[in-house]
Amino acid sequence: METARYAFEARSVSKFFPGVKALSEVSLKLSAGSIHALLGENGAGKSTLIKIVTGVYQPDQGSLFCSGQACRFSGPRDAMAAGIGVVHQERNLIPRFSIAENIFLERNGRHLFRMIDYKALAREARPWLERLGLDLDPALPVSRLTVAKMQMVEIARALALRSRVLLLDEPTASLTPHEAEALFAVLRKLRDEGVSMLFVSHKLEEVEQLCDTVTVLRDGNNVCDARSTESLGRQDFVHLMIGRTEQVVTRRDREQEDVPPFLELKSVSSALGHRDISLAVRPGEIVGLYGLVGAGRSELAKVIIGRYPVTAGEIRVDQAPVKIRSVAQAIHRHGIGYVSEDRKHEGLILDHSVLENAGITVWRRLANCLGLVGDRSIRALVEPHIRKLEVRTPSLHQKVGLLSGGNQQKISVAKWLSAGVKLLIIDEPTVGIDIKSKAYLHELIHELADKGTAVLLISSDMPEMISLADRIVVMNAYRVQGELANTGEYAKVSAGIMNLIHD
Amino acid sequence: MASFFLSNEFGLIVGICIFIAIFSWVDANFWSPFNLFVISRSAGVYALIGLSMMAVIATGGLSLAIGAIGVCAAMAFGWAIESAGLHWSASLAVALAVALALGYVNGWLVVRTGIHSFVITLATMSVFFGGMLFLSQGQSFRALPAEITEFGRLKVFSISALFLTAVAVALLLAAFYRFAALGREMLAAGACPEAAELSGVHSGRMFILCHVLSAGLAGIAALLVTARFGAAIPSMAGQLGQDWLMPGFLAPVLGGTLLSGGRVSVPGTVLGAILVTILANGLLRMSIGEFWVQAILGCLLLAAVLGDVMRKRYLAASGRA
Repeated sequence: METARYAFEARSVSKFFPGVKALSEVSLKLSAGSIHALLGENGAGKSTLIKIVTGVYQPDQGSLFCSGQACRFSGPRDAMAAGIGVVHQERNLIPRFSIAENIFLERNGRHLFRMIDYKALAREARPWLERLGLDLDPALPVSRLTVAKMQMVEIARALALRSRVLLLDEPTASLTPHEAEALFAVLRKLRDEGVSMLFVSHKLEEVEQLCDTVTVLRDGNNVCDARSTESLGRQDFVHLMIGRTEQVVTRRDREQEDVPPFLELKSVSSALGHRDISLAVRPGEIVGLYGLVGAGRSELAKVIIGRYPVTAGEIRVDQAPVKIRSVAQAIHRHGIGYVSEDRKHEGLILDHSVLENAGITVWRRLANCLGLVGDRSIRALVEPHIRKLEVRTPSLHQKVGLLSGGNQQKISVAKWLSAGVKLLIIDEPTVGIDIKSKAYLHELIHELADKGTAVLLISSDMPEMISLADRIVVMNAYRVQGELANTGEYAKVSAGIMNLIHD
Repeated sequence: MASFFLSNEFGLIVGICIFIAIFSWVDANFWSPFNLFVISRSAGVYALIGLSMMAVIATGGLSLAIGAIGVCAAMAFGWAIESAGLHWSASLAVALAVALALGYVNGWLVVRTGIHSFVITLATMSVFFGGMLFLSQGQSFRALPAEITEFGRLKVFSISALFLTAVAVALLLAAFYRFAALGREMLAAGACPEAAELSGVHSGRMFILCHVLSAGLAGIAALLVTARFGAAIPSMAGQLGQDWLMPGFLAPVLGGTLLSGGRVSVPGTVLGAILVTILANGLLRMSIGEFWVQAILGCLLLAAVLGDVMRKRYLAASGRA
């Protein structure tokens, strides 16, 4: 059988979500004794594919093979039983349990009433730890370990479950370079022992250094599958990930007037860990904020709107230094609004109506001297915006949670239009939104800027960034890496951004 | 219109009609003016207790201390009249001020510590009640002015003035949640504190105000009880004020107030209180023991909570579709 060469194979797998095709006939082939990289931009379909491999999602089309045998996972347990071990980005251990207990957690759970033989447990755990070159007492509670050691324990646990395939999701995200080196040494050793590994990382130099083959996803499609990394350099990876030559970027040149900035950050540090952030946004200008997930962009937005405190530096609004102590102040005094990327938890109140969601920012302004505000006056202010954004809803009293993602997003923008903000921070405006609404929202952002609103656009979607932004500020690890003017030349600008991030 | 027939309020009206039909069939004296007065008197108090709990459930939390706060307010009222020699109207203000202050303490502790309101109010319930016992030395205030006792006996077409007071408060409260910017902000904060905060609502402040509002309503409830007894009695809401918890939870939950917060129904809570009162009254008149009544009310609460869970599942399922 031809597929027997692979420890695991996903063949022409597709996955649909309402309104979105997350994966379209994607293939993934993992050979025994090799480290395989999975690359792709945010939103390319990586996490969906990982969830299919680990049994969290079931593919809508296509099939999975374990060592040549067709297999179906109806849940994560099935995937584990088929020999697929996962080490997640976040640690998944029970802190107060010992190393040995954590390693054999699955097994202990199986017999509800049998006493646990701790000595035997420790004895059995030791060989797995030794295999990873760990000199640790298996009886030690996990909470006493460093993050790097905890990760090793997770790898040991995956191996103890007789995994033939090991999936590592961003394993170096919270490691120091030194710890990462130690991890790589262990992974190479496991490879030589015949383990197949899937390595998911944003850090291209790690992929270059460690991986034998690579699968790249873009927009839910395979750009390449199981290609050898031998002849590929970092620029090639970047090109594979973003180089959509067919991508049509419609950028509009906006007249840049030499007006003073509406918002200016001068060497701002924050309680969330931002250091020395400087940037400026002028009225009528769209400034892009690009970075990988975890670069601290949404967090910066929340610092600007006063949700979290500034610890050093200065924020200026309309050239006057300000201290914004609460979101209410940001909105009502300074005219700054924030469209959250997390519509469901931060952007909207799903259980409340369209009218209540779109009007929440203006209740206070519309209230009379008794603090009363009627539906009619809210409606008068909000309805034109809802209508203009072509929100499709049976009535203004419809629950927002029942609308489609695109319509929800329009409402989370509409509430700031009703509030009449002068600076709008828009965070990942088109994630999980169908193509038509996406184009519409892009048009809207252009229009906002044309009318003189200052826009700070946070996006991980490179084409979106290049088609909208006038200037692009690149962030990494809660710092500003640099800034570049957006010329609209896709290849040049995207390469420039990638270089700033990976420098 | 179709949505009205699917609502909790309509279900409660149907339930109330069914219970009335059963009890008036079994018990010839159910419709007697005296029994109407008794039912409306209890229903008024239960409605306010339910609204008091509802105001905190709006935050997604709860308050075990409403009974203790109510008793404290009633005792403060008695003290102001008898010991401080104030006019009864000034004493009402003192009583309400005490209730609001205790509510503020609850809200402040919940918001500042981030600990669930269950634990905070469990603790403050004991603290408030214990403090009240210490200060009053367990003595009742029985020498209340005639106006108060007369109000307790006042009836309009056999309907107790206590019930009419509760209806008036309920109307104001319904208008508050519907039309006041503050009421809207309370519900927004209760439904989703982070989303509300990022829309310019001070969610923490709203949570504190929800506790203050709840305490104010508990205070009014306790003053009505005081009028009914013609005295402020430390044990009027049972040990630690716990007798108020069952009607407190039953009325809003039956009325369709979401336990996770953000949605309240004032008319539903009032109807829920009426249903509970009629049920308890009818059962007691059929000489079914008090503990059986409690057990049946407990079952009703379980059924109502399960109904809440089912509704949430249904909402989630239809949201996905």
